[in-house]
Amino acid sequence: MSAFDFAPAIALLPFVSFLVALFGGQYLPKKGAFAGIAATAGSLLLSAWVAVTVAGGETYNEALYTFTAGLDTFELHLGILIDPLTALMLLIVSFIALLVHVFSLGYMNDEGETGLPRYYAGLGLFTASMLGFVFADNILMAFMFFELVGLCSYLLIGFHFREEGPPSAAKKAFLVTRFGDYFFLIGVVGIFVTFAGATQTPGLFAGEGSFPVVAEHAIVDGATEGLNTFGFEPQTWFTILGLLVLGGVMGKSAQFPLHTWLPDAMEGPTPVSALIHAATMVAAGVYLVARMYGFYALTPTTMAVIALVGGFTALFAATMGVVKQELKQVLAYSTISQYGYMMLALGSGGYIAAVFHLTTHAVFKALLFLGAGAVIIAMHHEENMWEMGGLKDKMPVTYWSFLAGSLALAGIVPFAGFWSKDEVLYEALIHGLGTDGGLGAAFLVAYAMGLLAVFFTGFYTFRMVYLTFHGEPRTETARKPHGVRWNVKGPLAVLGVLATTIGFINMAPVAKLTDTHIDFLHTWVLGDEGSGWEGLMTGLHHYETILHDVAHIAPPAEGAWPLGGEVPVLLASAAVSLGLAIAGVLAARSLYKVPEPVEHTNKLGSIKTLLMHNYYQDEYQVWLATGFTYPISRAADKFDQGVIDGVVNGISSVSLFSGARVRKIQTGVVSNYAFFITVALVVLLVVFAISGGWF
Amino acid sequence: MIPTQYYLLLSAAVFCIGVFGVLTRRNALIFLMSVELILNAANINLVAFSLQYGNLSGQVFSLFMMGLAAAEVAVGLGIVLVLYRNFSDVDVTEATTMRW
Repeated sequence: MSAFDFAPAIALLPFVSFLVALFGGQYLPKKGAFAGIAATAGSLLLSAWVAVTVAGGETYNEALYTFTAGLDTFELHLGILIDPLTALMLLIVSFIALLVHVFSLGYMNDEGETGLPRYYAGLGLFTASMLGFVFADNILMAFMFFELVGLCSYLLIGFHFREEGPPSAAKKAFLVTRFGDYFFLIGVVGIFVTFAGATQTPGLFAGEGSFPVVAEHAIVDGATEGLNTFGFEPQTWFTILGLLVLGGVMGKSAQFPLHTWLPDAMEGPTPVSALIHAATMVAAGVYLVARMYGFYALTPTTMAVIALVGGFTALFAATMGVVKQELKQVLAYSTISQYGYMMLALGSGGYIAAVFHLTTHAVFKALLFLGAGAVIIAMHHEENMWEMGGLKDKMPVTYWSFLAGSLALAGIVPFAGFWSKDEVLYEALIHGLGTDGGLGAAFLVAYAMGLLAVFFTGFYTFRMVYLTFHGEPRTETARKPHGVRWNVKGPLAVLGVLATTIGFINMAPVAKLTDTHIDFLHTWVLGDEGSGWEGLMTGLHHYETILHDVAHIAPPAEGAWPLGGEVPVLLASAAVSLGLAIAGVLAARSLYKVPEPVEHTNKLGSIKTLLMHNYYQDEYQVWLATGFTYPISRAADKFDQGVIDGVVNGISSVSLFSGARVRKIQTGVVSNYAFFITVALVVLLVVFAISGGWF
Repeated sequence: MIPTQYYLLLSAAVFCIGVFGVLTRRNALIFLMSVELILNAANINLVAFSLQYGNLSGQVFSLFMMGLAAAEVAVGLGIVLVLYRNFSDVDVTEATTMRW
């Protein structure tokens, strides 16, 4: 009996907790929270078992339920793919979900919220869908669960549906992500159409016959038989498909220009923000790119787009985080920015760096959001940082764990974020240096934006810490904060320890310097010969081969390194990014670590207005809707109502009019009918007589 | 023997009288009588041709038509009765409430 036999239960357990909370939550103690905690704990245990099995060199890629079997064509099915990437993500999702469920006891139950069965049902369904998305073995199933997590996000953002803000934010999140998902859906259909002729299983992510592998054969070996590329060169067409799927990724992972929903999504309860809008669901987009990396790596254009979008988003969101006044808003912009880093890493060929940053970010951002939740409980649901101050001594557990998370976010050695962010930037740099032409230049531009964002990250993170926890309390609430219980402190402590230490799983720079094999995450996703899963073709080893041979993305060749070698570049990169982060932190410290901080942002003048309005992104998107789409649809409506309906109505009114005239001959007087019959008879007789030649 | 044309002329005359009655009169009973005239004009035709060709089918048909005419009168009188009940009159131009 293998762990893989129980893999479906990883997603089914939270689904059961969803049903229990929805239908029985009202009658249960804590309104269904325990069902969720038990289910996510079960998922975590099973995920750990799966991870151990995968560590033993086994992988799993099976169809479980076929809902449409084609004759001589492709089939649609639900199935499970488990490779090291899946195992890692399953662990992250179920772990964070468990902690968030525990935290919710403190944030929701203890605060006397109503409608809790609905809340826990939403969390359960979300966890189930997210886990289902993670182990989906084909892109159609992934799309289905992708939509389900979007639905749960909508339901949970709008949890306080009686207030004004949350329903509107929920709708916005739903619509903006749906805009991206629309392209994703076209991409999914496109992938099925393209590869259906060449393989029986065009939707699969991994293994022989899966679309990334078929696409690779088409480009590397020229095996284009059966492929339908609509007359394009295969690589051009794969670029188009990749960009279409990327639409969904950008919506879900809140990348520019579809990032506008995420800050508004902070209207949801804080544990929801921690689980969905920081650690897991927003990761779905990045995870999808990593999942089908074998496909993206074939098309350099897509890679450049991903890297540039990521680098730009990282910088763009970080600048907006600098001026925000609300704790969760700062965290929301930092989330967007951090996902930008992951996209930057993926686009520039740093697969391992992206996965690493995804892992560490899930931990430290969940920590920061839960910490923010603890502060919000203490402050009686006041979120404005200018109303806080001096909370350091009142809530030490929250302070120290929040500080650990902030150091990780700012990228200060040796906290988790340092190792992962440094690796992201390093990978972008070396691939930018080693890749020829415009692609390399694009990577370097993206790298420069990512590097600049490091400074802003350090600044806004510590501005947030100093304003919230340091100085003198600025309000009565901050002087007498509300205490928090074990169910809040427990998750914070666990995550605080992890945020400090989880970077040690992949200390690539130290591994390179000392030539020891302590980059465990690297080994984990490497998947080279003899690891037992080269058949899936989802290992880092395989991706690096494609990147090098097809997209020509590679680090500089031996002897072509600037500064005289790999190690000096590595040290310089780490020193620059750490230096910028520390500069940001010190800048924040000098401005805000005073007993009575003031708003220095006013000195920015018109830039502050620009930043406070989020670069008018919302305004221009609203304009797009009201000033552009609405007139077009109104014109279309006019055309429909006027021309199309006009023709139809015209025809019917001709019939009506003539009918109204013609019916007048139906007088109801029998004599008239007899008259008509007689006249007709006479006319007939005359006609026959003339034509028959009687006269 | 009387030539067949005479019968046909008689038949045509009876038919025309019947049609004239249908077209000009308003009394439903006169209507029925006129229709009887038209039917009998046809009967005369049938019998006349039956005699002309020495074939009995025409006479058989005219017998059937007499039966038909009897049935028609039964129905027709029923209609006239209903007409009178509804409009207190047997004028056919009055019964126009179901038009348009």
